[in-house]
Amino acid sequence: MVTQPQQATQVHTRLQAAASRQRLGEVGRIVGLVTYVTFALFPLFWILLMSLKKPIDVIAYPPKFIFTPTLDNYRDALSRPDFLLPYKNSLIVTIGALAVTLIIGLPAAYALARMDFKRKEDIAFSFLSLRFAPELVIILPLFVIYQQLKLYNTYIGLILVYQLITFPLMVWMMRSFFEDVPREIEEAISIDGGTWWHSFFMISFRIVLPGVAASTVLGFIYAWNNFVFGLILAGRDTQVITTGLLQFISFQEIQWGSMAAGTMLTIIPEFLVAIFALRYMIRGLTAGVVKG
Amino acid sequence: MVRSSRSLPYLLLLPGILLSVAILYPFLTGAYWSFTRYDLGSGAPPSFNGIANYVRLLTNGLGLHAILITFVYAALAVAVETILGFGVALLLLKEGPLTSVFRALVVLPLLMPPVVATIMWKVMMTPNGVLNYLLQQVGLPPFGWLGTTATALPSTVLIDAWIYTPFVILILLAGLQSIPDDVREAARVDGANWWWEQSHIIIPLLRPFFVIIVVFRGIDALKSFDIIYTSTQGGPINATMNLHVQAYFTGIRSLNIGAAMAFLVILWAFCYALAFGLLRLRRGRPA
Repeated sequence: MVTQPQQATQVHTRLQAAASRQRLGEVGRIVGLVTYVTFALFPLFWILLMSLKKPIDVIAYPPKFIFTPTLDNYRDALSRPDFLLPYKNSLIVTIGALAVTLIIGLPAAYALARMDFKRKEDIAFSFLSLRFAPELVIILPLFVIYQQLKLYNTYIGLILVYQLITFPLMVWMMRSFFEDVPREIEEAISIDGGTWWHSFFMISFRIVLPGVAASTVLGFIYAWNNFVFGLILAGRDTQVITTGLLQFISFQEIQWGSMAAGTMLTIIPEFLVAIFALRYMIRGLTAGVVKG
Repeated sequence: MVRSSRSLPYLLLLPGILLSVAILYPFLTGAYWSFTRYDLGSGAPPSFNGIANYVRLLTNGLGLHAILITFVYAALAVAVETILGFGVALLLLKEGPLTSVFRALVVLPLLMPPVVATIMWKVMMTPNGVLNYLLQQVGLPPFGWLGTTATALPSTVLIDAWIYTPFVILILLAGLQSIPDDVREAARVDGANWWWEQSHIIIPLLRPFFVIIVVFRGIDALKSFDIIYTSTQGGPINATMNLHVQAYFTGIRSLNIGAAMAFLVILWAFCYALAFGLLRLRRGRPA
């Protein structure tokens, strides 16, 4: 027979054990997270350090964690044409590609989300399927065709081919935002005598404007990050930032410091714009399958 | 309304449809070239040679090797990223100030150009780089990284995992958050331990999310190009030469367009087989 106080102590020790198990679990959780975050951030940290090092410190072995920092690498990167020209080209091509995608993609996304018609899913999937093709299966023939059409090494040629990524990504992402708006909006607008055109404007530019903006940000990141289009279809004058950075390490004698500074200058703008779209990113990454 | 609403959706979609058709042209032209002898360097136009390119690809060592590398790379990358991503998503599930900072930080690798990420890793993976230095500090021998045939493929998969594990984390975190708390509590009340709870309740509930991961990551890993091209160019001695990179060297460097297109059509077929999985998935609408 168990007396009252004994029972109380048993319950007490069991609670204590549970509490300490929980504390242990919490410690384990923090250790696990810190380990993964270290893995995720160390390369960024290392390249940041490298961008602040003098040439002698870059090649030192053992590698230096403590040194006198310098901004010379940034000054160098920002003064060399083989960095600035690709940077400018990337801006032109990316912004151009986003503009084209918005003009033809916004009505498409609206129709796919808000209207019922035959073969809707087939059309939607044929857009999405562009994203699943290995890039070269289209780019390699274009390498030949563009030279015949005089589109090789032109901004227009690149902007058109960038639609391969921005168009399916943004149409499917915007479509998932459009689908979230209740049907009553159109009914209300049509009762007030508005046409589909009023509904389209109301929904695209008022109600889901943040969604359209987030889609554009993600489109920007994907276009900016692309490598293979520029590698094959851009010449000297239209080289983009990713192919430009690669040249820093392949052709001339390797200037690690300037390359690292160029890398930082390439990714920092992306991190800044991404903060805004982070919440919505998952829709873009999964073509709206996961709403997040 | 001025126009009949029956044709309006198609009108709105017309530019997009025209774009898709425009893209179909190079694709079909390229697919035709895969059945021709087309050497851009010789200046001769493509001449039909039936399935000769495919026969050569599937009978010589180079083509079969590239197919093997393509699948080994994709399988390893998807497996590593799914397991690691699931673990980290579980750790990030509990709300808290530290968690929200970490949730933002772990996404960073996914936002940068894969080429730039690969350059970073390449710098760290040199024989006298910081990774071997850190290994030495903890008493381990230096690793071959991208430089030896045995270690190059795992090293490229490591870079892939660094970039894309956040993708898995984001999706599984959304999945985990969609599971109501009372489901977990019910399991605990029944006396289920942690491991039983994950394997019998959580993982089955997350099944649709795992399918999404395998489809999206699987396709992207099958057509991996940027990481391999930037880190090893398919070397050393073809140890990392997958179909996509092989097609680049055959088509752009050797100008053998016919053979390169055969590589690409085969790779395209693999990717689309996985993509059709997604089509059926979306019809089922898991989330």
